[in-house]
Amino acid sequence: MAWRNLGRNRVRTALAALGIVIGVISIASMGMASAAINQQASAQLGDLGNKVSVSAGEDAEENGVTQTQVERIDDLVSAGTVVEQKSDTTSLSSRADTVDVVTVTAVTEVAEPYNITSANPPETLHSGALLTNQTAETLGLGVGDPVKYDGSLYRIRGIITTTSRFGGFAELVVPLSAMADRDEYDTVDIYADSGSDAARIADRLDSEFNSYGRTEEKILEIRSTSDAREGVNKFMRTLKLGLLGIGSISLLVASVAILNVMLMSTIERRGEIGVLRAVGIRRGEVLRMILTEAMFLGAVGGLVGSLASLGVGAFIFDKITQNAMDVLVWPSSKYLVYGFLFAVFASLLSGLYPAWKAANDPPVEALGE
Amino acid sequence: MSIIELEGVVKRYETGAETVEALKGVDFSAARGEMVTVVGPSGSGKSTMLNMIGLLDSPTAGSVILDGQDVTGFSEDERTEERRAELGFVFQSFHLLPMLTAVENVELPSMWDTSVDRHDRAVDLLERVGLGDRLTHTPGELSGGQQQRVAIARSLINEPEILLADEPTGNLDQETGGTILTEMQRLTEEENIAVVAITHDTQLEEFSDRAVNLVDGVLHT
Ligand SMILES: Nc1ncnc2c1ncn2[C@@H]1O[C@H](COP(=O)(O)OP(=O)(O)O)[C@@H](O)[C@H]1O
Ligand SMILES: [Mg+2]
Repeated sequence: MAWRNLGRNRVRTALAALGIVIGVISIASMGMASAAINQQASAQLGDLGNKVSVSAGEDAEENGVTQTQVERIDDLVSAGTVVEQKSDTTSLSSRADTVDVVTVTAVTEVAEPYNITSANPPETLHSGALLTNQTAETLGLGVGDPVKYDGSLYRIRGIITTTSRFGGFAELVVPLSAMADRDEYDTVDIYADSGSDAARIADRLDSEFNSYGRTEEKILEIRSTSDAREGVNKFMRTLKLGLLGIGSISLLVASVAILNVMLMSTIERRGEIGVLRAVGIRRGEVLRMILTEAMFLGAVGGLVGSLASLGVGAFIFDKITQNAMDVLVWPSSKYLVYGFLFAVFASLLSGLYPAWKAANDPPVEALGE
Repeated sequence: MSIIELEGVVKRYETGAETVEALKGVDFSAARGEMVTVVGPSGSGKSTMLNMIGLLDSPTAGSVILDGQDVTGFSEDERTEERRAELGFVFQSFHLLPMLTAVENVELPSMWDTSVDRHDRAVDLLERVGLGDRLTHTPGELSGGQQQRVAIARSLINEPEILLADEPTGNLDQETGGTILTEMQRLTEEENIAVVAITHDTQLEEFSDRAVNLVDGVLHT
């Protein structure tokens, strides 16, 4: 019955359904876009989440982290790798080209911080050097070639693959002995087992080095990437809310379209509804009939919208994470379900007023003969 | 014994500053198996009177007694129940639902009632009004006379006690009107129900047992 009523004014019904379809597509694809961005961000930030970086604070007496402090840090960190390093900059030249600004890092532990491609990647660096892939490419250098830093030659033992998509930076890694003229370390990185471990270590180090009794001093600057992670998560939540907000507005517009269609169709059928009431159809039954119509409209629109969103979502994921199939995982596909439910719910809600109005129209007036 | 009675029924319509007294104390009754026609000029209150009998509206004063029960103070929901169980309606402009077939239109008053299946009765009624071969036609595919016969079948689906018809032949030509009335009369005799039919067509009076004349809200017998 409700179905056939909808079939009567096909164009109008189709337009209302189209409104819902667009509403659902926008809300679902906004949701899925945020899911895709979130997934991609997690993938890129995943290996940063468990790192704590320590450098000299503003109240430090020395111009860096001292050997004694490194030893204390080593004692405090039971699970995790402590990587102390010194940094400098230089410029590198070869017959092929020159790279002016190259970060030079002097460090022993290289397995944890770097992703090294070579036949036999070194765990620790006591001789030779490592070079980032882009710099090596620019300079036309490879494993076995010499590079010159601070008057000494170092043989390249491995090439560092930069995981970041944001363009690899130029970095030369040399043994700590290369900067033996300086006593202090510029940074000490601690690689913990997990993000929460990193946060705990950061807290521990902070209370150990930066508070003497009641005074707070900044002897060491301690930064945990889990802080950055938290910031990113917060940004993601805001982004998601914003995107869903935009989606909701279009569904709101769609609801108004349904309201309009249902109102029009009940006004148009006022006489008919009067006949129904006259022949003894109860108010509740009229109400149910019109709500069923609205729900059908919402369900059909929602279904079509969800299917279309699946396509849009696959496209978004293909663009952002390079894998269209990711759209099917729950954090993303849940937005299809939400979109559908929202469409049915919004339709019911917009049908409520016209249905109530139609059901309570006095039959004599509706008949109006 | 009367199935329906109006006692001193007054109906006033307030439209803005103006008050129209459509019925000025009407006393009326009809018995089972009886066909009564209400005649009178346009605007004399005939439809208003039928709305009172049909429990579509309640009177300003006086009382309405249906099958011995005073239904004057009934709520809209109570009146709906009485209409469903006791009353059948036939309108001047048929008022069939365009997207339903003939048989579905006849079943309409019981369509929401899952406790009974009126399909067989609907088919039987349509056969009795001579539309046995038009069961699945929609109103658009039927002539005016055929549509009104579907409407008559619909009015009888819930086995009412009273059939109310407001100018049932008003939209039909003389000849078709005549056959419709014959049909109506025969069915109401078969079903032993009371019929109250409005007309300003004197032809209708021939088919009735009794005619009352309503002039300016006052009933003359
Ligand atoms: N809903 C209404 N509101 C105001 N006046 C009405 C209404 N219905 C009927 N009337 C008035 O009551 C009088 C009787 O109307 P009606 O019963 O329709 O007459 P009839 O059916 O005999 O032509 C008319 O003057 C009409 O204008
Ligand atoms: Mg009238």
